[in-house]
Amino acid sequence: MEKSVGGVQEHGAVGSAASLIELRGMTKRYAGVLALDSIDFQINPGEVVGLLGDNGAGKSTLIKILSGVVEPSSGKFLHMGKEVKIRSRRDSYELGMETIYQDIALVDQMDIMRNIFLGREETGFLGFMKMKSMKEKAMRVLEHTVGISGITSPDQIVKGLSGGQKQAVALARAVYFKNKILLLDEPTSALSVRETEKTLEYILQLKTEGMSSVLVTHNMYHGYNTCDRFVVLSHGKKIMDVTKDQTSIEELTEVIMAN
Amino acid sequence: MRELFARLRSYKAGNIIIVFAVVQITCVVASLLFPREFAYTDTSSIQTLLKSLSPIAIVSVGVGILMIAGEFDLSVGSNFAFTAYIMALIYQCNYSEWVAVAAALALGGFIGLLNGLITLKAKIPSFIATLGALMFWRGMLQIISGGRTESMAPGGFFENIFAGNIGPIQAQFIWAIAIAAMGYLLLERHRLGNHIFGVGGNVESAKAIGVSPNTVKMACFIIVGVLAALAGVISTARVYSVSPDQGRGYELQAIAACVIGGVSLTGGSGSVLGIFLGTALLFTIQSVLLLLRAPGFYLDMFMGILIVVAVIFNRLTKKDKG
Repeated sequence: MEKSVGGVQEHGAVGSAASLIELRGMTKRYAGVLALDSIDFQINPGEVVGLLGDNGAGKSTLIKILSGVVEPSSGKFLHMGKEVKIRSRRDSYELGMETIYQDIALVDQMDIMRNIFLGREETGFLGFMKMKSMKEKAMRVLEHTVGISGITSPDQIVKGLSGGQKQAVALARAVYFKNKILLLDEPTSALSVRETEKTLEYILQLKTEGMSSVLVTHNMYHGYNTCDRFVVLSHGKKIMDVTKDQTSIEELTEVIMAN
Repeated sequence: MRELFARLRSYKAGNIIIVFAVVQITCVVASLLFPREFAYTDTSSIQTLLKSLSPIAIVSVGVGILMIAGEFDLSVGSNFAFTAYIMALIYQCNYSEWVAVAAALALGGFIGLLNGLITLKAKIPSFIATLGALMFWRGMLQIISGGRTESMAPGGFFENIFAGNIGPIQAQFIWAIAIAAMGYLLLERHRLGNHIFGVGGNVESAKAIGVSPNTVKMACFIIVGVLAALAGVISTARVYSVSPDQGRGYELQAIAACVIGGVSLTGGSGSVLGIFLGTALLFTIQSVLLLLRAPGFYLDMFMGILIVVAVIFNRLTKKDKG
C-alpha cells in the first residue's frame, strides 16, 4: 500500500514497454510433452487479464512459471521492458507478484496475523517478532481491505473461517505486502456463489487501486465480467489475445470449445 | 464460572489447564482431609515431585516443539544417557567439569543433527530414523560402558547450579521452568516459532510463502538433541553418577506428556504451557499412586489410560470447536 503502483493505465498499451511483466517465447517441455509452446504474454499496470482455456491448456504451467515454482525450458522475462530472471518464488515476489492458489494457502491452525506475516515476520532483537506492530497492521489491513464479514480480530484462528474469508485473508496478505500483480489460479473454485462474487468484487476494487491481476478461471461468466483482456490457451499455444471490447462472451466460449 | 471456563477453553492449553487444576484441587483437598494417609502437601513430597518431573519436562519441551513441526524424536532417552555418560568419562579423564558439560551438550546437538539429516535427506519418517537412533546410541553406550555406572561429583558451582536449592526450590525445577519459558518465547514470540507452526500445520503453504521446511525441522531436531543432553547433565548432577540404563522409556513419557498437554500428533498445534502441565500431570499421578502405596505397575496402567483418554478428549473438544 505504501509503495502503490503509479496511475491506472488504459489498455491499448498492450505489448509496449509499459508492460509490468512480459513473457516472450515462453516454452516448457515436460518429458517430451510440450506444455507451453512459445507463448508471448503481457501484464499491464492496473489490468485484469483473464487466462482461459480447457484443462491441460497450459494455464497453470504459465502461472507456475510466473510465480517461480516452475522453470521454463526457454523464453525471456521482461520487467518494465528490462530483461530479468525468475528462478525462484523469491525472484517472482521481488518483481511484485503474489500467487493466490485455489486450495487456499493458509495454515489452518494459526491465527490470521501469524498467517499474514508467515515467512515475512517483522522482527527485532535476535529475531523476536514485533507482535504489537504486526497485530496493528494486520487489523488495519483487515479493516481496510477485507470487506467480508465475520473477521473481527487478527487473533482468530483460520480454521474457523469460511472459504471466502480465508481467500480474503490470502488477498489481504498480498495487498499488505504491496504486490503489484496478483496471480490468481482458480481462486474461487472452493467458494460459494456469494463468496465468489465478493472475491471478484475485491479484485476489481484492487484494480482501482492500481493492482494488476491474472485470473485463471473455468467460469467464463466470472472471467468476462471481471477481466479487461482475455488470453486463450489451447494445447500449450496462445490462440487468442483480445481486449474486452474486441470480443464477446459467445465468441470466447466458441473459441475455447472449438479447440 | 461459565465465562471463566469458556475463556480457559479458548486458550491453546485450555483443556489441560482445567484438568490439571481439577486434579490439583482434588489432591490438595484429599490431603487436608486425610493428612496422615495422603501426605500430598508435605514439603518433602512436593519436593520429590518437582525433582522427578524436571528432567522429563526439559526433554518434553524439546520433543513437543519437534512434534509441532511435524516430526518425532524417539532417541531422546538414549541421547540423555549416552551424552551424560560421555560427560562423566571426560570428567574422569581429568578435564574440567565445564568442558565435560559443553561436550555433552554439543554431542546432544550432534545426535539431533544426525537424526535430522537422516530423516530429511533420506526422506524417511522420523519415527523410523529416531527409532534406529534410540537402539544405536543405547547399544553404543552398552559397549562403551561395559554395563558399568560412571560417577561424576565435582561439587562446587557445578552442583550448586544444577542440583542446588534456592530457598525451598531445587535448581532442577528452576532449569525446567527456564527451559519452558525459553520454549514459550521461541514458539510464540520468535520468527522460528512462527515457521515451526507453519511447517507443521501446512507444509505446502509454508513452502509457497518461502519458508524452508527442512531448515525449520533441522533446527528443531538440534534443539531436542541439546535439551535431552541438558536433562542428562542435570540428572547426573543430582545423583552424582550415570548408569548405562538411565533414561529408558523417556521418549514415550515425553510424547505422552506432550499428547496429554494437547500437542497434535500430526503437527501444527500445541503449546509449551500444555507440554509442561502434561508432564506435571503425569508426575502428579505418579506421586499420588506412590502416596497410596500402589505397586509400580499401577502407574503404567494409569499412564496408559491417561494417554488414550487425553487423545480422545482432545479430539472431541476439537470437534465441537468446528
